[in-house]
Amino acid sequence: MEDKIRHVICPYCGCLCDDILIEMTGGEISGVENACTLGARKFLDDAGNRLKGPIMRKGDEWVDISYEEAIDYAVKVLSEADRPLLYGWSGCMTETQAIGAHLAELIGGIVDSTTSVCHGPSILAIQEVGHPGCTLGQVKNRADTIIYWGSNTIEAHPRHLSRYTNYADAYFFHNAFRERKVIVVDVRKTVTAEIATEFVQIDQGGDYHVLSALRAIIRERGGVIPDMVAGVPKAQLIRVAEICRQAKFGALFFGVGITMTGGKYKNIRNAIEFISELNRYTKWTISPMRGHSNVYGSNEVFTWISGYPFAVDYSRGIAFYNPGETTAVDILARKEADAALIMSSDPGAHFPRVCSEHLARIPTILFDPYPSATTHLCTLQIPTAVNGIDAAGTAYRMDGIPIMTRRFMETVYPTDTKLMQEIYDRIRKVKEDA
Amino acid sequence: MMQVTLTMKPRAKPFLPIEAEMIVPMNFIGSRELFVWEGNKKRRLEDVFTVRKEGNVNSPENIVVILRGDTGRVKRVGEYMSSGIITIEGDIGMHCGNFMRGGNIVIHGNADGWLGREMRAGSILCHGNAGDYCGSGYRGEKRGMRGGKIEIMGDAGDYLGEYLTGGEIHVHGNAGMFAGAEMRGGTLKIDGDVRIPAANMSKGTCIIGGVAHEMLPTFEKTGEKNGMVVFHGDVANKGKGELMIRQVQENSALQ
Amino acid sequence: MHEILIKNAFVIDPIQGIHGDIMDISVRDGRIVDKVSGTCEVIDAGGNLTLPGGIDSHTHVCGTKVNFGRYMSPEDMRAGRTPRRGAMYHTSGYTVPTTYGNSYRYSKMGYTTLLEGAMAPMEARHTHEEFAATPMQDMLANTLFDGNWNLFEAVGDKDIRQAAAVIGWTLSAVRGFGVKLTNPGGTEAWGFGDDLSSIDETVPNWDITPRDIIDTSIKACEFLHLPHSVHLHCNNLGMPGNYRTTLQTLDIPSDLNPDRQTLYLTHVQFHSYGGSTWGDISSEAEKVASSVNTKPQVVIDMGQVMFGRTMTMTADGPMEFRLYTLHHNKWSNHDVELETGSGVIPVYYSRKSPVNSIMWAIGLELALLVKNPWQCMLTTDNPNGAPFVKYPEIIGLLMSNLYREKELDQVHKLTTDRTSLGTIDRELSFEDIAVMTRAGQAKALGIIDQGKGHLKEGALADIAIYPVKPDQTDPSLQYEEVIGAFQQTLYTLKDGFVVNRDGEVIRGIPNRTFWVNANLPDDMDVMKSPRFVEKFSRYYSVDLENYMVQDDYVERGIEMNTHVA
Ligand code: SF4
Ligand SMILES: [Zn+2]
Repeated sequence: MEDKIRHVICPYCGCLCDDILIEMTGGEISGVENACTLGARKFLDDAGNRLKGPIMRKGDEWVDISYEEAIDYAVKVLSEADRPLLYGWSGCMTETQAIGAHLAELIGGIVDSTTSVCHGPSILAIQEVGHPGCTLGQVKNRADTIIYWGSNTIEAHPRHLSRYTNYADAYFFHNAFRERKVIVVDVRKTVTAEIATEFVQIDQGGDYHVLSALRAIIRERGGVIPDMVAGVPKAQLIRVAEICRQAKFGALFFGVGITMTGGKYKNIRNAIEFISELNRYTKWTISPMRGHSNVYGSNEVFTWISGYPFAVDYSRGIAFYNPGETTAVDILARKEADAALIMSSDPGAHFPRVCSEHLARIPTILFDPYPSATTHLCTLQIPTAVNGIDAAGTAYRMDGIPIMTRRFMETVYPTDTKLMQEIYDRIRKVKEDA
Repeated sequence: MMQVTLTMKPRAKPFLPIEAEMIVPMNFIGSRELFVWEGNKKRRLEDVFTVRKEGNVNSPENIVVILRGDTGRVKRVGEYMSSGIITIEGDIGMHCGNFMRGGNIVIHGNADGWLGREMRAGSILCHGNAGDYCGSGYRGEKRGMRGGKIEIMGDAGDYLGEYLTGGEIHVHGNAGMFAGAEMRGGTLKIDGDVRIPAANMSKGTCIIGGVAHEMLPTFEKTGEKNGMVVFHGDVANKGKGELMIRQVQENSALQ
Repeated sequence: MHEILIKNAFVIDPIQGIHGDIMDISVRDGRIVDKVSGTCEVIDAGGNLTLPGGIDSHTHVCGTKVNFGRYMSPEDMRAGRTPRRGAMYHTSGYTVPTTYGNSYRYSKMGYTTLLEGAMAPMEARHTHEEFAATPMQDMLANTLFDGNWNLFEAVGDKDIRQAAAVIGWTLSAVRGFGVKLTNPGGTEAWGFGDDLSSIDETVPNWDITPRDIIDTSIKACEFLHLPHSVHLHCNNLGMPGNYRTTLQTLDIPSDLNPDRQTLYLTHVQFHSYGGSTWGDISSEAEKVASSVNTKPQVVIDMGQVMFGRTMTMTADGPMEFRLYTLHHNKWSNHDVELETGSGVIPVYYSRKSPVNSIMWAIGLELALLVKNPWQCMLTTDNPNGAPFVKYPEIIGLLMSNLYREKELDQVHKLTTDRTSLGTIDRELSFEDIAVMTRAGQAKALGIIDQGKGHLKEGALADIAIYPVKPDQTDPSLQYEEVIGAFQQTLYTLKDGFVVNRDGEVIRGIPNRTFWVNANLPDDMDVMKSPRFVEKFSRYYSVDLENYMVQDDYVERGIEMNTHVA
């Protein structure tokens, strides 16, 4: 039996491409069209890779346990903890994220998403100066000038250029591809830099300096700027500033190459202020290249529930937010957490070693359909249906567009929404009885 | 005079943070029951500290609170304090002296992040090092410290005096990166070295007695004073701040 | 069966023509009924003011830009924090509180129905998700069409039927309620950083004007028989001298609907400015109100400004940018492809500022100079003019000349010269306030038949009992008591249950979303137009199949079926 399912949403990166065509043979995914290799792999590698059921560490061994036993354990650990950390969430749909935020509230825990290790700095910057942005279709139809800054888009978000920027159809251009200028700013000549009309190569850690110089030039204070700024000749800075000013609609996209280096959020703040300043002359927008599929959804949900996009600490009952203090990495590095719930993410692969070591020391419950580096640290792993394959829900694209992902496969796994709701209800009962 | 000595008791989970904004001199007048939070559990002050009171007064100016023992995880000590003295014999946790309005805090060890955040008046003296965001504001807020004095005998971390709006910060050692970022008033004095000072400042004075590394290209040199180079900026934002530097790092990779 | 008898209620129900009678109200299973059994729960209203549940016909509480206001403002979230307790989740925030913060505070003030003023169709799911997290009120979403390319094409072709087809399809597709135009054409111009300065200026790249968009949309709305009229945020918001644009706009609609207005103009305070610069700005509220007084086909809402800090948020992207260049605070902008724009910036309205003081006076002037309270709704355009928790103070100002005079003394002295507020001595009655906070809204939104805004038999049992006895209170002098009473009900009932008692939410009831299904005939179905489908797939960045909002988002939806003429 062969089936074709159209308009499927790729749950891999923040582009959330929604035009994927899936071919099913005998109940398994046999082909993927329209997706990039990253996305296709997410679908094609699914078969045969999932855990069969919950596994619990007993000494040096893994034992299979039932979902019921797994939930019992989670309820016990989380309701008793003094500083439980609920981390991950970017692979979950908003329905689950919402329960997660309420769970943190219920148990006096900290809820944080993978934001804190990718675009957390962007949010801190936005909280200082705001965010002149737009949806991706606005860029696609109007932008004549595009900047990728610290983002190797071709490798990290492969279809960004074809769907939303350089190669996409544009309402306001006959031949968009020819008429658009692409500026790439990076510390090294990436694959993305190869296609640039203007490549600006910056010394490592020099983003802030270059952005300040560009702002000064736009403000007509270029006279102050020395001949070379962070490896970039002043003449090139003046040229770039002029291209920006001449644009009819410009869009700057930035990636972790600038959020995670040097001044982090100060870099982003400077970029935003550069864009805000350009708006006095012409139209410009700026957008973070959000990574994991629904990381932006977690920011939205946590915000309308708690007031804060990530790193929310409920230990006092009210919501408190202070990245650097209430962020997962900091909580773990200071060994504060005494229990952890990790939702479909892999801190074992991405966190500093001190953090992983601490996770391995405390009861750590991992929700993930697949084995990962975090499996080696956790006490209990619970596989769930995969969002975007055999579970559906709401995901927010990197520009805030909410989309409902599609469920196109029968499943024998419970969804993370269902399990999270069960944990929540059970703990609430425990608390009420107490 | 009244002296209140709080000695930290041994704890089952010593890494749990304790939030103790109620540790301000005024609260020790009378015999009100005081609570702190250890993680998500509310505890009586006496469960966490051995409390010894000597003397009896009815005005906070005459109260000295002494914190003793392993207090490096105790946060928010001296928050909103308006008079009296707090002496910390060892290290102190984050947000010590938040919103302080008067009185003195003396720290003999190191202070963690956000020391004197959004402080309005009074003074903080730290004999050790201070963490990040000393004398800064809160996330999203446009004003940091607005008045009073913070003196750090050791080094300070990153984002020292971010959004400094009034008052004075004096660091005898070095500071990390982005000292004085977004400064809009007050005086920030660092005797040692810094990285990327006074970024995007709009007003105020920043004085660097050591070497400024990775100096921004958007400051205008306007002269020399007392053996220091005087700059104005940050011109990236029409800033009218004053930045004085003993020595700008030569051949900076970034220039 | 769940029954409640409310005894000794001082009822004002303008829709039924009850002007303040002491009476009993019977409630069964969520509805007002004639009689209940003798054994039911009894609430003694003690002669206190009892009104149908409050309705806000223009507020910003859910959706993309509201949430962006929260997202960018952790400093605001430090205010208004309450922990979880009883039936309530925790809350945070003052100017843009969390959804639960909004919902509980509105409930405490007796509000049971809210219309979110601006939902971009493409981001509708977001609004609906937040609706689900605003549990104490039934919700409606005004849907933005001000920069909608499909609508523009129909307007360009002067094709009302096609315009109706686009509007009808979109409302059904995104589970929207009414048609919102925010700076029509201007948000499209903002796509390239421009704006429009008159309703007769051509929209760049389109051969149409704001006047054409407004006129066609009005006719299309009536063609579709929508419950609500076009809901318009005029061009030139916040510009000195903009009252001319407002007067011209007021002249557009003729009276096309016997049941309600033909055009709803929102936050008119922001659109009643004389002068030509910030230096000589003055009030033209008299001219605007006079025009409204001659046009029964128009309803406005105040958009009152109150002093203090708040957050401005609107689909009017270019206006927010102008505001940013004045305030230099943080600025967010979010254009939505093919549809609309939006912007968010925090502001502080100061009594010391002549401009802010004049703004404050203009809102009050409008409410006092529009003769018929059914034509002027009480709003702050929450949170643009002020957070909605300021409504009770506005009620106090409208009911007491004394209070107004006192306040007028506190504001910038230019206010007396540049506005007429000091010369108006009208004092509104409790009944006027009941009209301006619920009955008028129910009529303007076309939801009387849904059982909203009145206490007729069969109506939804949404009831607010305020701790004030109108027959023993002189609001003119006792304005402080009146303000206190409107700040916190004794009881708020929703769907026949006491949901709020003395300011505490005591139970939650799943809320509803009212949305319109336009039931278009086949020949008006845009989905059958290859041109529509082709253009959609070329220029939108999502597939048409993923654009339409699934039923999952309106599980508690009330589908309002309409049929074309
Ligand atoms: S670009 Fe991202 S969302 Fe699109 S197919 Fe590739 S991985 Fe999936
Ligand atoms: Zn509005």
